[in-house]
Amino acid sequence: MSPLFSQLAVLGSSLTLIFALMLLWHRSVHAYTTAFMWQSVVLAAIAAVVAYFERETELYFVAAMFLLLKGWLIPRLLRRMEEPFGAEQELQPYVNTATSLLVCGLLVLFAYAVCRPVVALSRLPTRAGMPLALGLIFVSLFVIASRKKALTQVIGFLMLENGIALLAVLGTYGIPFVVEIGVFLDLLLGFMVMQLFIYRIRETFESIDVEQLGRLRH
Amino acid sequence: MIFLLLLFPPLLAAALAALVKPYRGWVGWITAALSFAPLGAALSICARVLEGEVLTSGAGEFLRADGLSALLALCIGFVAALAAWLGPGLAVDDGYDAAERRSYRVFSNLFAFTMLLAVTAHNVGVMWVAVEATTITSAMLIPLHITKASVEASWKYILIGSVGIALAFVGTVLAYFDFVNLAGEQPTALNWTSLLHSAPVLHDAVLKLAFVFILIGYGTKAGLAPMHTWLPDAHSESPSALSAMMSGVLLAVAIYAIVRWKIVVDAAVGPAFTNRLLIALSLLSLAIAAFSLIGQRNYKRMLAYSSIEHTGLTCLGLALGPLGIFAAMLHMVNHTVTKSMMFLLAGRVQQRYRSTEIAEATGLAGTMPVTAGFFAAGMFAIAGLPPFGLFISEFALVRAGFAAGRAWLMAAVLVLVVVAFTALVTHLNRMLYGTPPQSIFVGERERWALVPPALCLLILLILGLMLPEPFSRLLNKVVEIAAP
Repeated sequence: MSPLFSQLAVLGSSLTLIFALMLLWHRSVHAYTTAFMWQSVVLAAIAAVVAYFERETELYFVAAMFLLLKGWLIPRLLRRMEEPFGAEQELQPYVNTATSLLVCGLLVLFAYAVCRPVVALSRLPTRAGMPLALGLIFVSLFVIASRKKALTQVIGFLMLENGIALLAVLGTYGIPFVVEIGVFLDLLLGFMVMQLFIYRIRETFESIDVEQLGRLRH
Repeated sequence: MIFLLLLFPPLLAAALAALVKPYRGWVGWITAALSFAPLGAALSICARVLEGEVLTSGAGEFLRADGLSALLALCIGFVAALAAWLGPGLAVDDGYDAAERRSYRVFSNLFAFTMLLAVTAHNVGVMWVAVEATTITSAMLIPLHITKASVEASWKYILIGSVGIALAFVGTVLAYFDFVNLAGEQPTALNWTSLLHSAPVLHDAVLKLAFVFILIGYGTKAGLAPMHTWLPDAHSESPSALSAMMSGVLLAVAIYAIVRWKIVVDAAVGPAFTNRLLIALSLLSLAIAAFSLIGQRNYKRMLAYSSIEHTGLTCLGLALGPLGIFAAMLHMVNHTVTKSMMFLLAGRVQQRYRSTEIAEATGLAGTMPVTAGFFAAGMFAIAGLPPFGLFISEFALVRAGFAAGRAWLMAAVLVLVVVAFTALVTHLNRMLYGTPPQSIFVGERERWALVPPALCLLILLILGLMLPEPFSRLLNKVVEIAAP
């Protein structure tokens, strides 16, 4: 079973990373939401695959939660924000597309370097996906730091959470259940507060470009 | 049972405030009265811990309180009670409308609950969940008055805070990965005692990597440079009672999380690794804070940068062996008392002058003599002057540094502390004297609200002049846990 299992794990992890990279060359909120949605679906699929091969029934539930929360509910809420904010595209991020791709390539390499002791230690068939999960985390951090629109930053944050969830699924076959529930709750509440704040930014600044958020200095 | 008394009243208060709509004055008084329950529970936990007990409760020891938890619970209970009595909702004219008061009562109590849960949760994953929840609950309160500045501050806070905390979770997952690899999956694997128990056989490289993530993550919440950028904005734009809670105890809760992990990682790889990282980040924090203090024009931002300075000092102490840990914990408690008092006094000043600019809040000594006196005493305390508690803890910290053979480091620290001191005293001078704006009301209003700051000052004096015996025994308990 091992070759198929580990191939699926690596394939899935690579796909989640590619969906994150899509943020670098697309400009519209619609495309970002789609990328996040499919990334979450792949994440849920990976969790289900691990659950199937390792007979971890708990992980089926986690996979269902991924699908419900990150694959359906949050994208739905994001879609609702496209209407008021869709016109505000990420036209000029702090870093241009070509440089962004290059930086992200380096970040993934860096993730491989950092992960060496971790991969060397593990005996799990899924271990080859772990550097990719860490790469996804780094790329998401880069997206948050280099984009100007508040909504893009939120999607970067959601992808960061996906990266951590992927790391947990691949490396440990899921974290203890009580923690998992808490993480879901935090993610949902945190997202809702961020959403509320985006509306507030728009009301007070008439745009969601965070470049305007430069009043508070020193 | 005691945990119920600690954790349930804030939830009850939040529920009450949420259910009664529109806000009524009696809700404020009831929630304020309820704030004494966690404080009492924390005191009782401290007493039992001093008798050598470690309290646990719930399935799989879900909650656990040792000396370290007890000390933090006491700090949280104290500041939460201060914020409940002096926050929006009790005074007749505090500048907030009914909806804002209700929202303050709901979220400040939830904020207190999440902090109390963070320090009593046994499972480090649950601790993480609780710390993340502190970000959400406190972020809701920053833009209580919606202005451009407060909206900006709240966005920076929730984004930087959430991302930082997410990184701490990466570290937690990596440590759990190490544990599972070794011992297989167990429901109690993330319990702090299980981690500590198996730490000696965990793998160095993975745990070191995990600790880097954890330090960056919780360090973001603790206000360690270079992840501190949210802190001055959030502290200066929040309602003062929330600033008091954030600066007074939220930073301490984040430091608590770092200490918990430091103990585990030290047991596995020895303290040299974590100490090096902590020293580097705390020295950077001290330097950035000291030099940012010089040019400060806003007195709430000044207090915020001073919090970064003291976070730096506390984390530095953690890296200086048992003596340093004792000093660090004492410093943390002193800072909690001083800074929560200072932000509450700053709130009084802000309400009178309608400004947070130092240049506009002049002539304090004439317009609000008692507040000005307390404010000046507090400024001397955070600047590190005797006879206040912070002087003793800074002295103990520097002594621990010399004892650990780090003379050069301590010399640098002393220079930075002097820079901060000069800046603080200069700003204080400008605020106390000079001509107050015309047409400002002269004299103290709401005199009862000066009683809690007076109490804080008394505590600071007691901690500065003599260390009460039970308290130093509690600190020694913490040292036993943190430096076995």
